Parts: sequence; C-alpha cells; structure tokens
Amino acid sequence: MTGWRIAAAVLLALLLPAAARAEELLIIANPSVAVDGPLSDEQIAAIYLLKTTLWPDGRHIVPVNREASSEIRARFTGAVLKEDRASLAAYWNEMHFKGQRPPVVQESEQAMLAFVQNVPGAIGYVSASLAPGNVKVLAHVP
Amino acid sequence: MAPSGRALPGWALAALLWLLGGPAARADDYQLGHGLDLGPFNLAGYSNLVGNLPDQGARSLVLDDLSLFVSGHVAGWLNPFMEAELTGATLARSGAGPSDGDLVLERLYDDAYLTDDLTLRLGKMLAPVGEWNQIHAAPLVLTTVRPAVTYRNFSEYVTGASLLFSDPQSALPDLQLYWQPGGELSERPATITVHQYADVAGAQVSLPLGLLDRVGVSFQSSRDVRGVRQSLFGLDAHYTVGPLTLAAEGTFSDVSSSGTRLARDAEWGAYVSAAYALDEEWSLYGWYEGFADRTRSSVAADLLLGAGYHLHPASVIKLEYLQNVGGQPVNPTGLFASWSVLF
Repeated sequence: MTGWRIAAAVLLALLLPAAARAEELLIIANPSVAVDGPLSDEQIAAIYLLKTTLWPDGRHIVPVNREASSEIRARFTGAVLKEDRASLAAYWNEMHFKGQRPPVVQESEQAMLAFVQNVPGAIGYVSASLAPGNVKVLAHVP
Repeated sequence: MAPSGRALPGWALAALLWLLGGPAARADDYQLGHGLDLGPFNLAGYSNLVGNLPDQGARSLVLDDLSLFVSGHVAGWLNPFMEAELTGATLARSGAGPSDGDLVLERLYDDAYLTDDLTLRLGKMLAPVGEWNQIHAAPLVLTTVRPAVTYRNFSEYVTGASLLFSDPQSALPDLQLYWQPGGELSERPATITVHQYADVAGAQVSLPLGLLDRVGVSFQSSRDVRGVRQSLFGLDAHYTVGPLTLAAEGTFSDVSSSGTRLARDAEWGAYVSAAYALDEEWSLYGWYEGFADRTRSSVAADLLLGAGYHLHPASVIKLEYLQNVGGQPVNPTGLFASWSVLF
C-alpha cells in the first residue's frame, strides 16, 4: 500500500508542472511588434485599458480580447486587469465615446491567434497549451 | 430633416459614410457598443429615444440624439475624430405635430500623440469641465434628465488647441489645458443651447482613484456672445463602493457684464447622485441638485429618483421622476423615460 502511495505522489509531482503550464496564459503579439523583452502586468493592463496606445516604434497597438462569456477572458481579466466585468464594460464604453477603440473581440482561441498573427500591432492572449507559432510571446501569466 | 443654417450639411455626412463603407474598407465582426471597424477607422454612434411626460406642458416622444462618430488611428500624429448628431427630433407631441430637429457638428479634431503620455488636440472638442460633459452620451450617463450644472454654467465646447497629459500607469493626475480664440466652429443654434461662448480658455486636473473613480478640478474663462465675461471654478468626484456609486459636480462662475442685465453676479450649482446596482442589469438611482441661474433670483432645487435596466452593457432603459422642490424650475417636474443604445 505504501508503495502505491509513493508511486502516486511521484506521478502527481511529475504531472502538476505540466498541468500548471497548460493553465498558463501567453501574451502574444504580431511578429512585427518592436518589443522583445517581457511585459509586466502593469504594462499589459495599460494597453488593455487604452492608456498606452503606441508601440515604441510608433505603430498603433491593437489589443484583442475574447468574448465576454469566455473562461479564458475571465482568467486574463482577474490576473491582469483586476477589475469586474461591469466596470470594464462601462469604462470601455466611455473610452470609445472619447475616441479610443475598445479591444477587438475574437470568439475562439484559433480566431484570436489568427488575428494576432495577421494584424500588425495586434496583442492578445491564448492558453499556453495552444503552443502558438508565428507570434511573439511577450509575457506569461500564471 | 431640415438642417439649420450653421449645421453640418447632410450630404457631407452621407459622403463620409459612403467613403468609409467603400469596397476597400474591411469590416471585422461587429460588437454592439464597439462600433464597426473599417480599416484604420471605427464607425460608431448612439441613439436616445426619450418620452417626456411633464406635469405641466406638452408631452412628447423625442429622438433626443442620433449621433454618429468616426475615429481614425492612421499614424501617431494623425488620429482624426468626428461626431455629428441629429438632436431634438420630435416624433410626437401633444397639441402639435412632429418637428425635424437639428443636425449639428459635435466634435471635429485630430489628436497628435507627442509622447506616450502627451497629446496635442486641434479642432472642435468637448470642454473638460466636470465629468458629465465629457461622457454626455445617453447610454453612458446616469439619468435621462441632465442636471443643469453639467451644461448651463460654462462653454461645453472648445474650438482650438488642447494639450492632454495622461500617465499610462495612472500614478500622476491627468491634465488638460485648452484655448479657443474667437467663436465656436459650426456653432450650435441658439434654439438648442443656453449660452453661446467665445474666447474660451481653461484647464482640468483629474486624479484617478480607480478605473472609473476620480476627483477633478476645473477652471474656465470665457465670454458669451452678449459680452458677459465669466470665470468658472468647478469640482467633481466619482467614487464606487461595491454596488454603490456616488458622484457629484459643482461649479461656481463669477459673471460680469457691461450691458446685459443679470439677476445675480455669480452663477453656481451642484448636484450629488447615488446609484445602487441591484445586479448587472437593474439599478436604482437618484440625484439632488441646487442651481442658481444668472438670470433668476431664486435657486432652483430638484430631486430625481429612478430605475435603470441594462438590456446590454451598451443599451439601457431608464424611468425616472423629477420633482422641483424649490425656486423657479430649470428642469420641469414630471415623469421621463428613455431607451438609449451605444452602437
């Protein structure tokens, strides 16, 4: 019995990091974005809250969000933006009226990835399990 | 629809729509409240259908606003914005027929991003006095009836130059300076505005306390077209505690005229509002306002209570009752309802 417990503990220890990696979010950007270093949560939040609107080379930033009912959006919002859904909706409505475009919405991981791959200046987020190609990974969100 | 003499011609709006909607434009998936992306441009707007049932006077159903705004992000120095709206189109009115309303140019400017935190704005823009005037679209503001202090005591628009400072990390206060030499571009007709202003200059400092919460201080110097000079000082605040949102704005203007007779030498007012979100859809709200108009010796006092229902984050139905509780009314006592959509 003790042997089984040890084996189970070892198996759990081996699997947990992989599971954690799968839960991790990747902040991805179009390959043309002239930023290589990792972005902090505060910098990512400033982009999604439309306070930082230009990349260092002067190109416009195009933030991309998932649909409001998305579980991955809820995780991103909780970990990075740290605001409730109703407040964010009201805030983006106000910013839109003031001339700032709210984040573009894409309704699947594949659509998000394709948008970021194809639109210069785009930044989005996907689950680490997607293993995205042809994008820059700017941050990992646990 | 019969545009007024100084209003934006209808053909100009139609031509702009045609140009933006041409085959070269690319439309992404549309989301209510997010507008329609057409290449580097975003086409959006809002509507507000209002039912007015005052205790005295005519009852009416009015398309209070049908606004269209276009924003573009072309380059760091080229970020144009234009808003035109049809305002005050009466669809039905007791004792009278419908009327066409006015087509007016609300905003027309370009933003040049000088640095990540500094923007130069040139053109016609909303004056940063208080919070309500800057987000006055019906789906964004608390009530159908607008407190007098949010529009009657200052120039709502600036045609000229403005410098805006906004710290991306929100660690420093936002600052906006502005200057309008002469009159307003495409001035709103006297039938839909209280005062028409010229030679406007001012500043606003706003300290962010949270995503939507802030405390602001406003200054504005102006001259109205009758020669009345005024200097305004204003305070505003917005604060959220759980489901409760508190907001307030107050202004004090020292007014001096060389020829026009006024009832008082200072125009002032303030409102305090509270809104309680029952859930993400339903809310209860109210405000109390006192307003001392320059042309009236008494101070108007109004109390408003109402309820709102959000069909969507970008669409809200409001039902409210306003009771004048003192002074000569600025807003009439009665029942008001509206349905507004940001599209």
